[in-house]
Amino acid sequence: MPIYCLGLNYRSAPVEVRERFAILDSRQGEEAKQMVLQAGVSEAVVLSTCNRTEYYLVGSESDWAGFKHFIIRHLSLDSIAQECFYDYKGREAAKHLCRVMSGMDSMVLGETEIFGQVKKAYQLALEVQATRGNLNQLFQKAISVAKKVRNSTQIQMGQTSIGNVAVDLAEKIFGDLGKSPVMIIGAGEMSRVTGQSLLSRGAKSIFVANRSFDKAESLAQEMSGKAVRFDDWADTLSQVDVVISSTSAPHYLIGPDDIEAVRRKRKFRPLFLIDIAVPRDINPEVTSIEEVYLYDIDALEQIADKARDKRQAQLKLCEEIVKEAVEGMSIFGVVESS
Amino acid sequence: MEIEIIIIATLLSLSGAIFSFWQIKKDRPHQRVFWLMLAVFVFQIWFLSIRGQSREACPLADWGERLMFLSWSLTFFYLAVGSTYRVSLLGLFTAPVITVMQGGALLPNVLNRNPKVIGVTDYWREAHAALSVLSYGALTLAAVAGVMFLVLNSLLKKQSFTTGLFGKFPPLTTITTSMVRLTWVGVTILTFGVGASFKMEGIESSVHLWVALMSWLSYLVLLIAKATRGMTNLRFSWSVILLLGLSIAAFVSV
Repeated sequence: MPIYCLGLNYRSAPVEVRERFAILDSRQGEEAKQMVLQAGVSEAVVLSTCNRTEYYLVGSESDWAGFKHFIIRHLSLDSIAQECFYDYKGREAAKHLCRVMSGMDSMVLGETEIFGQVKKAYQLALEVQATRGNLNQLFQKAISVAKKVRNSTQIQMGQTSIGNVAVDLAEKIFGDLGKSPVMIIGAGEMSRVTGQSLLSRGAKSIFVANRSFDKAESLAQEMSGKAVRFDDWADTLSQVDVVISSTSAPHYLIGPDDIEAVRRKRKFRPLFLIDIAVPRDINPEVTSIEEVYLYDIDALEQIADKARDKRQAQLKLCEEIVKEAVEGMSIFGVVESS
Repeated sequence: MEIEIIIIATLLSLSGAIFSFWQIKKDRPHQRVFWLMLAVFVFQIWFLSIRGQSREACPLADWGERLMFLSWSLTFFYLAVGSTYRVSLLGLFTAPVITVMQGGALLPNVLNRNPKVIGVTDYWREAHAALSVLSYGALTLAAVAGVMFLVLNSLLKKQSFTTGLFGKFPPLTTITTSMVRLTWVGVTILTFGVGASFKMEGIESSVHLWVALMSWLSYLVLLIAKATRGMTNLRFSWSVILLLGLSIAAFVSV
Protein backbone atom coordinates (compact mmCIF):
# COMPACT_ATOMS: atom_id res chain seq x y z
CA MET A 1 0.00 0.00 0.00
CA PRO A 2 1.88 3.10 -1.16
CA ILE A 3 1.76 6.52 0.48
CA TYR A 4 0.71 9.52 -1.53
CA CYS A 5 0.93 13.22 -0.96
CA LEU A 6 -1.16 15.62 -3.01
CA GLY A 7 -1.10 19.33 -2.29
CA LEU A 8 -0.27 22.89 -3.09
CA ASN A 9 1.81 25.48 -1.29
CA TYR A 10 3.02 29.08 -1.48
CA ARG A 11 5.53 28.14 -4.16
CA SER A 12 3.14 26.34 -6.47
CA ALA A 13 0.05 28.51 -5.99
CA PRO A 14 -0.71 32.19 -5.40
CA VAL A 15 -2.78 33.14 -2.38
CA GLU A 16 -6.01 33.46 -4.41
CA VAL A 17 -5.69 29.78 -5.34
CA ARG A 18 -4.48 28.64 -1.91
CA GLU A 19 -7.40 30.29 -0.13
CA ARG A 20 -9.87 28.26 -2.23
CA PHE A 21 -8.50 25.04 -0.80
CA ALA A 22 -7.82 26.16 2.76
CA ILE A 23 -9.55 23.97 5.34
CA LEU A 24 -10.35 25.24 8.82
CA ASP A 25 -8.55 23.54 11.71
CA SER A 26 -11.88 22.26 13.00
CA ARG A 27 -12.65 20.62 9.62
CA GLN A 28 -9.33 18.88 8.99
CA GLY A 29 -10.24 15.72 10.89
CA GLU A 30 -13.61 15.50 9.15
CA GLU A 31 -11.97 15.99 5.75
CA ALA A 32 -9.55 13.13 6.51
CA LYS A 33 -12.52 10.95 7.47
CA GLN A 34 -14.23 11.80 4.16
CA MET A 35 -11.10 10.69 2.33
CA VAL A 36 -10.99 7.23 3.89
CA LEU A 37 -14.58 6.66 2.84
CA GLN A 38 -13.40 6.65 -0.77
CA ALA A 39 -12.72 3.38 -2.48
CA GLY A 40 -9.04 2.52 -2.47
CA VAL A 41 -8.08 4.92 0.33
CA SER A 42 -7.29 3.27 3.64
CA GLU A 43 -5.67 6.12 5.58
CA ALA A 44 -5.64 9.93 5.36
CA VAL A 45 -4.24 13.03 7.07
CA VAL A 46 -5.24 16.50 5.87
CA LEU A 47 -2.95 19.42 6.58
CA SER A 48 -4.01 23.00 5.92
CA THR A 49 -2.12 26.16 6.90
CA CYS A 50 -1.98 29.63 5.36
CA ASN A 51 0.91 28.48 3.19
CA ARG A 52 -0.19 24.99 2.17
CA THR A 53 -2.96 22.42 1.89
CA GLU A 54 -1.81 18.80 1.63
CA TYR A 55 -3.43 15.39 1.64
CA TYR A 56 -1.38 12.44 2.90
CA LEU A 57 -3.04 9.22 1.85
CA VAL A 58 -2.47 5.51 1.78
CA GLY A 59 -4.14 3.69 -1.09
CA SER A 60 -3.63 0.95 -3.59
CA GLU A 61 -1.35 1.65 -6.52
CA SER A 62 -3.96 0.63 -9.06
CA ASP A 63 -6.50 3.12 -7.70
CA TRP A 64 -4.14 6.09 -7.74
CA ALA A 65 -5.29 7.49 -11.09
CA GLY A 66 -8.92 7.06 -10.11
CA PHE A 67 -8.31 8.57 -6.73
CA LYS A 68 -6.57 11.58 -8.23
CA HIS A 69 -9.59 12.02 -10.47
CA PHE A 70 -11.82 11.90 -7.41
CA ILE A 71 -9.77 14.63 -5.69
CA ILE A 72 -10.07 16.81 -8.78
CA ARG A 73 -13.84 16.43 -8.68
CA HIS A 74 -14.08 16.67 -4.90
CA LEU A 75 -12.12 19.91 -4.78
CA SER A 76 -13.70 21.22 -8.00
CA LEU A 77 -10.26 21.81 -9.49
CA ASP A 78 -10.27 23.76 -12.73
CA SER A 79 -7.36 23.40 -15.13
CA ILE A 80 -5.49 26.36 -13.60
CA ALA A 81 -5.82 24.98 -10.10
CA GLN A 82 -4.78 21.51 -11.29
CA GLU A 83 -1.48 22.98 -12.45
CA CYS A 84 -0.86 24.30 -8.95
CA PHE A 85 -1.06 20.86 -7.32
CA TYR A 86 1.97 18.65 -6.86
CA ASP A 87 1.98 15.00 -5.98
CA TYR A 88 4.56 12.70 -4.43
CA LYS A 89 4.55 8.96 -4.04
CA GLY A 90 6.21 6.58 -1.61
CA ARG A 91 9.67 7.63 -0.46
CA GLU A 92 9.29 11.07 -2.03
CA ALA A 93 6.06 11.65 -0.08
CA ALA A 94 7.79 10.65 3.16
CA LYS A 95 10.71 12.92 2.36
CA HIS A 96 8.36 15.78 1.61
CA LEU A 97 6.56 15.35 4.94
CA CYS A 98 9.87 15.33 6.85
CA ARG A 99 10.99 18.50 5.05
CA VAL A 100 7.65 20.23 5.73
CA MET A 101 7.67 19.30 9.40
CA SER A 102 11.29 20.43 9.86
CA GLY A 103 10.50 23.87 8.47
CA MET A 104 12.71 23.22 5.42
CA ASP A 105 9.83 23.79 3.01
CA SER A 106 8.47 26.85 4.80
CA MET A 107 8.31 30.38 3.46
CA VAL A 108 10.47 31.47 6.42
CA LEU A 109 13.14 28.77 6.40
CA GLY A 110 13.37 26.94 9.72
CA GLU A 111 10.19 28.39 11.25
CA THR A 112 8.82 26.25 14.05
CA GLU A 113 5.07 26.84 13.83
CA ILE A 114 4.66 24.24 11.08
CA PHE A 115 5.82 21.48 13.44
CA GLY A 116 2.82 22.06 15.70
CA GLN A 117 0.46 22.46 12.75
CA VAL A 118 1.44 19.10 11.22
CA LYS A 119 1.26 17.42 14.61
CA LYS A 120 -2.22 18.82 15.14
CA ALA A 121 -3.39 17.71 11.69
CA TYR A 122 -2.14 14.20 12.43
CA GLN A 123 -3.81 14.24 15.85
CA LEU A 124 -7.15 15.25 14.32
CA ALA A 125 -6.94 12.44 11.77
CA LEU A 126 -6.01 10.00 14.52
CA GLU A 127 -9.03 11.04 16.59
CA VAL A 128 -11.45 10.26 13.75
CA GLN A 129 -9.61 6.97 13.09
CA ALA A 130 -8.51 8.05 9.64
CA THR A 131 -4.99 6.74 10.23
CA ARG A 132 -3.61 3.26 10.87
CA GLY A 133 -0.24 1.53 10.77
CA ASN A 134 1.32 3.21 7.76
CA LEU A 135 0.55 6.87 8.37
CA ASN A 136 1.00 6.44 12.12
CA GLN A 137 4.54 5.15 11.54
CA LEU A 138 5.26 7.79 8.94
CA PHE A 139 4.08 10.73 11.07
CA GLN A 140 5.81 9.43 14.21
CA LYS A 141 9.02 9.10 12.25
CA ALA A 142 8.58 12.58 10.72
CA ILE A 143 8.15 14.03 14.22
CA SER A 144 11.42 12.49 15.39
CA VAL A 145 13.22 13.58 12.19
CA ALA A 146 11.98 17.17 12.67
CA LYS A 147 13.18 17.12 16.28
CA LYS A 148 16.58 15.81 15.18
CA VAL A 149 16.86 18.54 12.53
CA ARG A 150 15.94 21.16 15.11
CA ASN A 151 18.34 19.87 17.76
CA SER A 152 21.37 18.98 15.70
CA THR A 153 21.44 21.86 13.24
CA GLN A 154 21.10 25.63 13.48
CA ILE A 155 18.23 25.94 11.02
CA GLN A 156 16.12 27.75 13.61
CA MET A 157 18.89 30.00 14.87
CA GLY A 158 18.50 33.77 14.81
CA GLN A 159 15.54 35.94 13.93
CA THR A 160 14.52 36.52 10.35
CA SER A 161 11.93 39.27 10.78
CA ILE A 162 12.65 42.87 11.73
CA GLY A 163 10.13 42.76 14.58
CA ASN A 164 11.70 39.71 16.17
CA VAL A 165 15.23 41.02 15.67
CA ALA A 166 14.21 44.19 17.54
CA VAL A 167 12.68 42.12 20.35
CA ASP A 168 15.84 39.97 20.63
CA LEU A 169 17.96 43.10 20.99
CA ALA A 170 15.56 44.54 23.56
CA GLU A 171 15.85 41.31 25.56
CA LYS A 172 19.64 41.44 25.31
CA ILE A 173 19.51 44.83 26.98
CA PHE A 174 16.64 44.49 29.45
CA GLY A 175 16.09 40.76 29.88
CA ASP A 176 12.50 40.57 31.07
CA LEU A 177 10.48 42.91 28.83
CA GLY A 178 7.58 42.84 31.30
CA LYS A 179 9.41 45.48 33.33
CA SER A 180 10.30 47.70 30.36
CA PRO A 181 7.67 50.22 29.24
CA VAL A 182 7.51 50.79 25.47
CA MET A 183 6.52 53.87 23.47
CA ILE A 184 5.44 53.58 19.85
CA ILE A 185 5.64 56.82 17.88
CA GLY A 186 3.60 56.59 14.66
CA ALA A 187 0.71 54.17 14.32
CA GLY A 188 1.69 52.60 10.98
CA GLU A 189 1.87 48.93 10.05
CA MET A 190 5.58 48.52 10.90
CA SER A 191 4.99 50.02 14.35
CA ARG A 192 2.08 47.70 14.89
CA VAL A 193 4.04 44.58 13.84
CA THR A 194 7.07 45.47 15.98
CA GLY A 195 4.82 46.40 18.92
CA GLN A 196 3.03 43.05 18.58
CA SER A 197 6.38 41.23 18.63
CA LEU A 198 7.28 43.00 21.87
CA LEU A 199 3.87 42.19 23.35
CA SER A 200 4.17 38.53 22.41
CA ARG A 201 7.47 38.38 24.30
CA GLY A 202 6.18 39.87 27.53
CA ALA A 203 6.07 43.68 27.13
CA LYS A 204 3.15 44.97 29.19
CA SER A 205 3.15 48.75 29.38
CA ILE A 206 2.76 50.32 25.93
CA PHE A 207 2.26 54.00 25.03
CA VAL A 208 1.23 55.04 21.52
CA ALA A 209 1.77 58.54 20.16
CA ASN A 210 0.55 59.57 16.71
CA ARG A 211 -0.32 62.80 14.92
CA SER A 212 -3.86 61.49 14.52
CA PHE A 213 -4.95 60.81 18.09
CA ASP A 214 -7.80 58.56 16.89
CA LYS A 215 -5.27 56.23 15.26
CA ALA A 216 -3.12 56.31 18.39
CA GLU A 217 -6.15 55.34 20.47
CA SER A 218 -7.10 52.57 18.08
CA LEU A 219 -3.57 51.02 18.14
CA ALA A 220 -3.30 51.54 21.90
CA GLN A 221 -6.60 49.71 22.36
CA GLU A 222 -5.41 46.85 20.17
CA MET A 223 -2.31 46.49 22.33
CA SER A 224 -4.01 47.15 25.67
CA GLY A 225 -1.83 50.26 25.94
CA LYS A 226 -2.34 53.96 26.44
CA ALA A 227 -2.65 56.64 23.76
CA VAL A 228 -0.52 59.75 24.16
CA ARG A 229 -1.04 63.11 22.41
CA PHE A 230 1.69 63.58 19.81
CA ASP A 231 2.86 66.79 21.45
CA ASP A 232 3.40 64.90 24.70
CA TRP A 233 5.72 62.13 23.46
CA ALA A 234 8.80 63.92 24.81
CA ASP A 235 7.33 63.91 28.33
CA THR A 236 6.56 60.20 28.06
CA LEU A 237 10.19 59.52 27.10
CA SER A 238 11.20 59.70 30.76
CA GLN A 239 8.89 56.79 31.60
CA VAL A 240 9.89 54.31 28.89
CA ASP A 241 12.85 52.00 28.17
CA VAL A 242 12.06 51.16 24.54
CA VAL A 243 10.98 53.52 21.75
CA ILE A 244 9.79 52.35 18.33
CA SER A 245 9.55 55.22 15.89
CA SER A 246 7.97 54.94 12.48
CA THR A 247 6.41 58.23 11.42
CA SER A 248 6.36 59.83 7.98
CA ALA A 249 8.05 62.98 9.28
CA PRO A 250 10.50 64.39 6.69
CA HIS A 251 13.01 65.36 9.41
CA TYR A 252 14.46 63.98 12.64
CA LEU A 253 11.88 63.78 15.38
CA ILE A 254 14.14 62.71 18.26
CA GLY A 255 17.52 64.33 18.77
CA PRO A 256 20.23 64.29 21.44
CA ASP A 257 18.65 67.30 23.20
CA ASP A 258 15.37 65.44 23.73
CA ILE A 259 17.21 62.62 25.46
CA GLU A 260 19.57 64.86 27.41
CA ALA A 261 16.48 66.60 28.82
CA VAL A 262 15.19 63.40 30.45
CA ARG A 263 18.43 61.57 31.34
CA ARG A 264 18.49 62.58 34.99
CA LYS A 265 14.78 61.90 35.40
CA ARG A 266 15.38 58.44 33.92
CA LYS A 267 18.28 57.94 36.33
CA PHE A 268 20.47 57.12 33.32
CA ARG A 269 18.70 53.82 32.68
CA PRO A 270 19.43 52.20 29.28
CA LEU A 271 17.24 53.49 26.44
CA PHE A 272 16.67 51.29 23.41
CA LEU A 273 15.60 53.17 20.27
CA ILE A 274 14.28 51.42 17.16
CA ASP A 275 14.01 53.67 14.13
CA ILE A 276 12.10 51.92 11.36
CA ALA A 277 11.11 55.11 9.53
CA VAL A 278 12.43 56.19 6.13
CA PRO A 279 13.44 59.01 6.23
CA ARG A 280 14.76 58.33 9.71
CA ASP A 281 13.01 59.75 12.77
CA ILE A 282 15.96 59.62 15.15
CA ASN A 283 19.14 61.60 14.80
CA PRO A 284 22.04 59.08 14.84
CA GLU A 285 24.00 61.47 17.05
CA VAL A 286 21.97 60.19 20.01
CA THR A 287 24.29 57.15 20.07
CA SER A 288 26.96 59.38 21.61
CA ILE A 289 24.86 59.33 24.80
CA GLU A 290 26.24 56.49 26.91
CA GLU A 291 23.03 54.66 27.79
CA VAL A 292 21.38 54.98 24.37
CA TYR A 293 21.27 52.06 21.92
CA LEU A 294 19.91 53.03 18.50
CA TYR A 295 19.13 50.69 15.61
CA ASP A 296 17.65 51.79 12.30
CA ILE A 297 15.87 49.67 9.70
CA ASP A 298 19.10 48.85 7.82
CA ALA A 299 20.80 47.56 10.97
CA LEU A 300 17.82 45.37 11.82
CA GLU A 301 17.49 44.14 8.23
CA GLN A 302 21.19 43.24 8.18
CA ILE A 303 20.78 41.08 11.28
CA ALA A 304 17.73 39.38 9.77
CA ASP A 305 19.64 38.79 6.50
CA LYS A 306 22.54 37.20 8.35
CA ALA A 307 20.18 34.88 10.19
CA ARG A 308 18.54 33.91 6.88
CA ASP A 309 21.95 33.22 5.32
CA LYS A 310 22.95 31.16 8.35
CA ARG A 311 19.77 29.10 8.09
CA GLN A 312 20.28 28.63 4.34
CA ALA A 313 23.80 27.37 5.01
CA GLN A 314 22.33 24.72 7.35
CA LEU A 315 19.97 23.38 4.71
CA LYS A 316 22.48 20.87 3.27
CA LEU A 317 23.01 19.33 6.67
CA CYS A 318 19.24 19.13 7.21
CA GLU A 319 18.75 17.46 3.82
CA GLU A 320 21.29 14.80 4.79
CA ILE A 321 19.43 14.08 8.03
CA VAL A 322 16.13 13.76 6.16
CA LYS A 323 17.67 11.63 3.43
CA GLU A 324 19.22 9.25 5.92
CA ALA A 325 15.97 8.99 7.88
CA VAL A 326 13.85 8.35 4.81
CA GLU A 327 16.23 5.66 3.57
CA GLY A 328 15.96 4.03 6.98
CA MET A 329 12.18 4.07 6.81
CA SER A 330 12.06 1.19 4.35
CA ILE A 331 12.72 -1.18 7.22
CA PHE A 332 9.25 -0.35 8.55
CA GLY A 333 7.71 -1.18 5.20
CA VAL A 334 6.14 2.25 5.12
CA VAL A 335 7.40 3.41 1.76
CA GLU A 336 8.39 0.16 0.18
CA SER A 337 6.18 0.68 -2.83
CA SER A 338 7.87 3.83 -4.04
CA MET B 1 51.76 18.80 49.33
CA GLU B 2 50.46 22.40 49.21
CA ILE B 3 52.27 23.04 45.93
CA GLU B 4 50.66 19.96 44.36
CA ILE B 5 47.24 21.15 45.52
CA ILE B 6 47.79 24.59 43.97
CA ILE B 7 48.99 22.97 40.73
CA ILE B 8 45.85 20.82 40.53
CA ALA B 9 43.59 23.81 41.36
CA THR B 10 45.39 25.90 38.73
CA LEU B 11 45.09 23.18 36.09
CA LEU B 12 41.39 22.84 36.87
CA SER B 13 40.72 26.58 36.61
CA LEU B 14 42.79 26.70 33.41
CA SER B 15 40.68 23.83 32.04
CA GLY B 16 37.58 25.83 33.03
CA ALA B 17 38.84 28.83 31.05
CA ILE B 18 39.81 26.76 28.00
CA PHE B 19 36.64 24.66 28.14
CA SER B 20 34.47 27.75 28.48
CA PHE B 21 36.20 29.39 25.50
CA TRP B 22 35.95 26.21 23.43
CA GLN B 23 32.26 25.81 24.14
CA ILE B 24 31.54 29.41 23.15
CA LYS B 25 33.46 28.83 19.93
CA LYS B 26 31.49 25.66 19.25
CA ASP B 27 28.27 27.45 20.20
CA ARG B 28 27.39 24.94 22.90
CA PRO B 29 26.03 25.34 26.42
CA HIS B 30 28.68 25.90 29.08
CA GLN B 31 27.25 24.75 32.43
CA ARG B 32 30.13 22.28 32.97
CA VAL B 33 32.45 25.17 33.81
CA PHE B 34 30.48 25.55 37.05
CA TRP B 35 31.43 22.00 38.09
CA LEU B 36 35.09 22.55 37.21
CA MET B 37 35.07 25.67 39.37
CA LEU B 38 33.44 23.74 42.19
CA ALA B 39 36.36 21.29 42.01
CA VAL B 40 38.78 24.26 42.11
CA PHE B 41 36.94 25.47 45.23
CA VAL B 42 37.42 22.12 46.96
CA PHE B 43 41.18 22.18 46.33
CA GLN B 44 41.41 25.78 47.53
CA ILE B 45 39.67 24.84 50.79
CA TRP B 46 42.05 21.91 51.16
CA PHE B 47 45.08 24.19 50.70
CA LEU B 48 43.77 26.84 53.13
CA SER B 49 42.93 24.17 55.68
CA ILE B 50 46.48 22.72 55.59
CA ARG B 51 48.08 26.17 55.79
CA GLY B 52 45.70 27.29 58.55
CA GLN B 53 46.74 24.30 60.62
CA SER B 54 50.44 24.96 59.93
CA ARG B 55 50.12 28.61 60.88
CA GLU B 56 47.62 28.04 63.68
CA ALA B 57 46.12 31.26 62.38
CA CYS B 58 44.28 32.65 59.37
CA PRO B 59 46.55 31.70 56.41
CA LEU B 60 47.46 35.19 55.23
CA ALA B 61 51.08 35.36 56.31
CA ASP B 62 52.77 35.31 52.90
CA TRP B 63 51.82 36.34 49.36
CA GLY B 64 51.14 32.78 48.26
CA GLU B 65 48.57 32.39 51.04
CA ARG B 66 47.02 35.80 50.31
CA LEU B 67 46.66 34.99 46.61
CA MET B 68 45.11 31.62 47.40
CA PHE B 69 42.74 33.15 49.97
CA LEU B 70 41.71 35.78 47.41
CA SER B 71 41.23 33.08 44.74
CA TRP B 72 39.08 31.10 47.18
CA SER B 73 36.97 34.18 47.93
CA LEU B 74 36.54 34.95 44.21
CA THR B 75 35.60 31.33 43.46
CA PHE B 76 33.14 31.33 46.37
CA PHE B 77 31.32 34.40 45.04
CA TYR B 78 31.44 33.06 41.48
CA LEU B 79 29.74 29.84 42.60
CA ALA B 80 27.16 31.80 44.61
CA VAL B 81 26.38 34.31 41.84
CA GLY B 82 26.66 31.79 39.02
CA SER B 83 23.95 29.61 40.50
CA THR B 84 21.74 32.34 41.94
CA TYR B 85 21.55 34.82 39.11
CA ARG B 86 22.44 32.44 36.28
CA VAL B 87 24.93 34.93 34.89
CA SER B 88 26.18 32.96 31.92
CA LEU B 89 29.69 33.64 30.63
CA LEU B 90 30.86 34.65 34.12
CA GLY B 91 32.96 31.48 34.14
CA LEU B 92 34.72 32.49 30.93
CA PHE B 93 35.74 35.77 32.53
CA THR B 94 36.41 34.51 36.07
CA ALA B 95 38.36 31.29 35.42
CA PRO B 96 41.35 33.08 33.80
CA VAL B 97 41.57 35.56 36.72
CA ILE B 98 41.63 32.69 39.22
CA THR B 99 44.20 30.85 37.10
CA VAL B 100 46.48 33.89 37.07
CA MET B 101 46.14 34.38 40.87
CA GLN B 102 46.85 30.72 41.63
CA GLY B 103 49.65 30.72 39.07
CA GLY B 104 51.10 33.71 40.92
CA ALA B 105 51.14 31.67 44.12
CA LEU B 106 53.30 29.08 42.32
CA LEU B 107 56.03 31.57 41.42
CA PRO B 108 59.34 31.14 43.27
CA ASN B 109 59.53 32.71 46.74
CA VAL B 110 55.85 33.65 46.75
CA LEU B 111 54.65 30.79 48.93
CA ASN B 112 56.75 29.96 51.97
CA ARG B 113 57.59 26.25 51.69
CA ASN B 114 58.22 25.96 55.43
CA PRO B 115 55.47 27.97 57.09
CA LYS B 116 56.16 28.92 60.67
CA VAL B 117 53.56 28.80 63.39
CA ILE B 118 52.19 32.25 63.99
CA GLY B 119 49.34 31.57 66.40
CA VAL B 120 46.45 33.91 67.06
CA THR B 121 47.57 36.81 69.21
CA ASP B 122 44.97 39.38 68.16
CA TYR B 123 41.55 38.20 67.08
CA TRP B 124 40.64 41.63 65.66
CA ARG B 125 43.68 41.53 63.39
CA GLU B 126 42.63 38.06 62.18
CA ALA B 127 39.06 39.26 61.57
CA HIS B 128 40.28 42.37 59.77
CA ALA B 129 42.53 40.40 57.41
CA ALA B 130 40.04 37.60 56.70
CA LEU B 131 37.04 39.90 56.15
CA SER B 132 39.03 42.26 53.94
CA VAL B 133 40.29 39.45 51.70
CA LEU B 134 36.77 38.00 51.56
CA SER B 135 35.40 41.38 50.50
CA TYR B 136 38.06 41.65 47.77
CA GLY B 137 36.67 38.41 46.32
CA ALA B 138 33.24 40.02 45.89
CA LEU B 139 34.75 43.27 44.62
CA THR B 140 36.97 41.42 42.13
CA LEU B 141 33.95 39.55 40.82
CA ALA B 142 32.07 42.87 40.55
CA ALA B 143 34.98 44.13 38.43
CA VAL B 144 34.80 40.95 36.31
CA ALA B 145 31.09 41.71 35.76
CA GLY B 146 32.16 45.27 34.91
CA VAL B 147 34.46 43.93 32.18
CA MET B 148 31.59 41.80 30.88
CA PHE B 149 29.40 44.89 30.76
CA LEU B 150 32.05 46.83 28.80
CA VAL B 151 32.40 44.01 26.25
CA LEU B 152 28.64 43.61 25.72
CA ASN B 153 28.07 47.35 25.69
CA SER B 154 30.73 47.73 23.01
CA LEU B 155 29.19 44.93 20.90
CA LEU B 156 25.74 46.55 21.18
CA LYS B 157 27.01 50.03 20.38
CA LYS B 158 29.10 48.84 17.41
CA GLN B 159 26.23 46.61 16.28
CA SER B 160 28.56 43.63 16.15
CA PHE B 161 26.20 40.73 16.65
CA THR B 162 27.79 37.96 14.63
CA THR B 163 30.28 36.73 17.22
CA GLY B 164 29.29 33.62 19.17
CA LEU B 165 30.15 35.58 22.31
CA PHE B 166 27.27 38.04 21.77
CA GLY B 167 24.59 35.37 21.84
CA LYS B 168 25.96 33.87 25.06
CA PHE B 169 25.98 37.08 27.10
CA PRO B 170 23.27 37.53 29.72
CA PRO B 171 21.16 40.70 29.34
CA LEU B 172 22.95 43.97 30.03
CA THR B 173 20.70 44.78 32.99
CA THR B 174 21.35 41.35 34.55
CA ILE B 175 25.09 42.02 34.43
CA THR B 176 24.54 45.46 35.95
CA THR B 177 22.31 44.11 38.72
CA SER B 178 24.91 41.46 39.62
CA MET B 179 27.68 44.06 39.52
CA VAL B 180 25.80 46.41 41.87
CA ARG B 181 24.81 43.60 44.27
CA LEU B 182 28.35 42.20 44.38
CA THR B 183 29.71 45.66 45.10
CA TRP B 184 27.20 46.07 47.95
CA VAL B 185 28.16 42.66 49.34
CA GLY B 186 31.87 43.48 49.05
CA VAL B 187 31.50 46.90 50.66
CA THR B 188 29.36 45.52 53.49
CA ILE B 189 31.99 42.87 54.31
CA LEU B 190 34.76 45.46 53.89
CA THR B 191 32.95 47.74 56.35
CA PHE B 192 33.22 45.03 59.01
CA GLY B 193 36.85 44.42 57.98
CA VAL B 194 37.72 48.11 58.31
CA GLY B 195 35.70 48.32 61.54
CA ALA B 196 37.70 45.40 62.98
CA SER B 197 40.97 47.20 62.17
CA PHE B 198 40.08 49.97 64.63
CA LYS B 199 39.89 47.39 67.41
CA MET B 200 43.30 45.94 66.57
CA GLU B 201 46.12 46.25 69.07
CA GLY B 202 48.67 48.92 68.24
CA ILE B 203 46.81 50.44 65.26
CA GLU B 204 48.71 53.36 63.85
CA SER B 205 48.54 55.63 60.85
CA SER B 206 50.04 53.87 57.83
CA VAL B 207 49.84 53.94 54.03
CA HIS B 208 47.85 50.71 54.17
CA LEU B 209 45.31 52.18 56.57
CA TRP B 210 44.75 55.33 54.52
CA VAL B 211 44.59 53.55 51.17
CA ALA B 212 42.16 51.01 52.63
CA LEU B 213 39.97 53.75 54.13
CA MET B 214 40.00 55.72 50.89
CA SER B 215 39.11 52.63 48.89
CA TRP B 216 36.22 51.75 51.26
CA LEU B 217 34.90 55.32 51.25
CA SER B 218 35.11 55.58 47.43
CA TYR B 219 33.08 52.39 47.02
CA LEU B 220 30.51 53.69 49.48
CA VAL B 221 30.18 57.05 47.68
CA LEU B 222 29.88 55.22 44.35
CA LEU B 223 27.05 53.00 45.59
CA ILE B 224 25.17 55.85 47.25
CA ALA B 225 25.49 57.97 44.10
CA LYS B 226 24.20 55.09 41.96
CA ALA B 227 21.24 54.50 44.26
CA THR B 228 20.23 58.12 44.75
CA ARG B 229 20.98 60.33 41.77
CA GLY B 230 21.62 57.54 39.28
CA MET B 231 24.63 56.85 37.08
CA THR B 232 25.16 55.33 33.65
CA ASN B 233 26.08 51.68 33.81
CA LEU B 234 29.17 52.43 31.73
CA ARG B 235 30.50 54.83 34.35
CA PHE B 236 29.61 52.46 37.16
CA SER B 237 31.50 49.63 35.42
CA TRP B 238 34.62 51.72 34.89
CA SER B 239 34.44 52.94 38.50
CA VAL B 240 34.19 49.40 39.87
CA ILE B 241 37.18 48.30 37.77
CA LEU B 242 39.31 51.31 38.73
CA LEU B 243 38.39 51.08 42.40
CA LEU B 244 39.50 47.47 42.42
CA GLY B 245 42.90 48.81 41.44
CA LEU B 246 42.83 51.05 44.52
CA SER B 247 41.79 48.09 46.69
CA ILE B 248 44.66 46.03 45.33
CA ALA B 249 46.98 48.91 46.22
CA ALA B 250 45.70 48.66 49.81
CA PHE B 251 46.23 44.91 49.66
CA VAL B 252 49.79 45.30 48.37
CA SER B 253 50.69 47.94 50.95
CA VAL B 254 50.19 45.50 53.86
